[in-house]
Amino acid sequence: MPKFSKPKLPGVISGLGVTFRTMMEGAVTVQYPHEREDPAPRARGVIALKEENCTACMLCGRSCPDWCIYIEGHKELRPPRREGGRPRSVNILDRFDIDYGLCMYCGICVEVCPFDALFWSPEFEYSEPRISDLLHDKDRLGEWMDGVPEPEPLELGAEVKGKK
Amino acid sequence: MTSTETPGFEVDPALYSNLAGSQVNVELDTGDMILNLGPQHPATHGTLRLVVRLDGERVVAADPVIGYMHRGYEKLSEFRTYPQITTLINRIDWLSSFANEVPFVHGAEQLMGIEAPPRAQWIRTILTELSRIATIYLFLGEMGLQVGALTPAFWGFRDRELVLNLIESATGGRFHPNFNRIGGLKDDLPWGWIAECRTTMDKILRGCDDFEDVLVGNEIFEARTRGIGIIPGELGAAYGVSGANLRASGIDWDLRRDGKPYLAYPELDFKVWTHSDGDSFARYWVRLQETREAVRMVIQLLDGLPAGPIMAKVPRIIKVPEGEVWVETENPLGQMGYYIVSKGATGPFRVKIRSASFSNVSILPWLLRGVYVPDVITIMGSLYFILGDIDR
Repeated sequence: MPKFSKPKLPGVISGLGVTFRTMMEGAVTVQYPHEREDPAPRARGVIALKEENCTACMLCGRSCPDWCIYIEGHKELRPPRREGGRPRSVNILDRFDIDYGLCMYCGICVEVCPFDALFWSPEFEYSEPRISDLLHDKDRLGEWMDGVPEPEPLELGAEVKGKK
Repeated sequence: MTSTETPGFEVDPALYSNLAGSQVNVELDTGDMILNLGPQHPATHGTLRLVVRLDGERVVAADPVIGYMHRGYEKLSEFRTYPQITTLINRIDWLSSFANEVPFVHGAEQLMGIEAPPRAQWIRTILTELSRIATIYLFLGEMGLQVGALTPAFWGFRDRELVLNLIESATGGRFHPNFNRIGGLKDDLPWGWIAECRTTMDKILRGCDDFEDVLVGNEIFEARTRGIGIIPGELGAAYGVSGANLRASGIDWDLRRDGKPYLAYPELDFKVWTHSDGDSFARYWVRLQETREAVRMVIQLLDGLPAGPIMAKVPRIIKVPEGEVWVETENPLGQMGYYIVSKGATGPFRVKIRSASFSNVSILPWLLRGVYVPDVITIMGSLYFILGDIDR
């Protein structure tokens, strides 16, 4: 345990040694806009929407803790698959907005989605000067799909998930 | 337990209360000055306002004004479902959010009569201890800042980032993990996490040695903290002070060991550190030892991590049967408890949150009487409260 009460010359020299070594070590911090550290693949950065999977079932919007997902959809009739069958009714997604000004990044919407239409992406660079621009519509949310990572392999002893 | 010799300090509340009056004669009476510390003050870790009545440099009376960050989580919880509430309670004590989730989820599980599988319990324990390390590590650095030492503050932030990276790679969130689900966990650990955790724990242990070298043996640090802000054990317990603050006053009470068994703690071998002095130095010392103990616990947990599922069988829509439950756990800041009343719906009827910082701060008016102004900052720093935890 060093005593700081009597500054002796060897203490000063060893102290300068620490200074010198620290100087050679380089900085821990990263100069952000010039170099960036990638967050972990699991990081909850932004929610991406795979539009063709969405059936406008509203489960995500209902389970959101602060109701920041806005969904509108309508039903359309499509010709039957087989001759003489009944026409199919298909859900068409008109509007899917997430207000990132309100979002708490809890991930409940991604989890409850029964059709795998929502994913987490670790992208985080979408700050906006105006708060209204934080409302991402379905095209903007679809663009985030490029950054969605593959599911990671799990640690030893983990049970591989079967079909839900 | 005393690690080093301490001056014999007798606490006499009467002495403190009369200090201001006894030394001033009528002609030289200067009158009291009222000083507002906060609500925006760097030493209050948030928006705590402390109204201090000063006689010269001595504090005659101190009155903490809280509520600037009241967000009404107890009321909000009544209008949310159980899975949604874990998102909210992440934000009560934002430094140790994972540890906050555990008692709530545990309470809901008890009401539903399900139990998380062993692997989930162990991973929960690991992450709780990691959040304990992250929380206390910031304290170990900041406490240096309170007495004027800048270096430890940077160490605290630097090495805490390693722990937060671990939490992020496992849960997805640095500060708000939201990883607990009723009946288990959201996901298993990613590949390579255990090895990374072990190397980080080595670094944390080395960091603890650095803190001990720089601060615990330092004369300035000792002069600023020894014998200052003494909480007598019984009085602290009467005020509801808990956690390391109470253990530093010589009361050997830790819910991980003495409370109702929860998580994997009954199977762990750990020591509860206490200190007999009850001053700011003792609180620092106890937390330093607790960090080391937490590292030891994490390593034990990593060694014995059982294999298996991480989620019990839970219905898709969670409805909790009628009943009431009180769950308390030992959080980094002290005793954290939830009283959950359920009427059989998807959300609770009423949630009462007992947070550690609220009770820890309630001793401030007593504790600050008669101390000097610079010591106010040291005492508040050594009590270590989080404003979100006070106001909820």
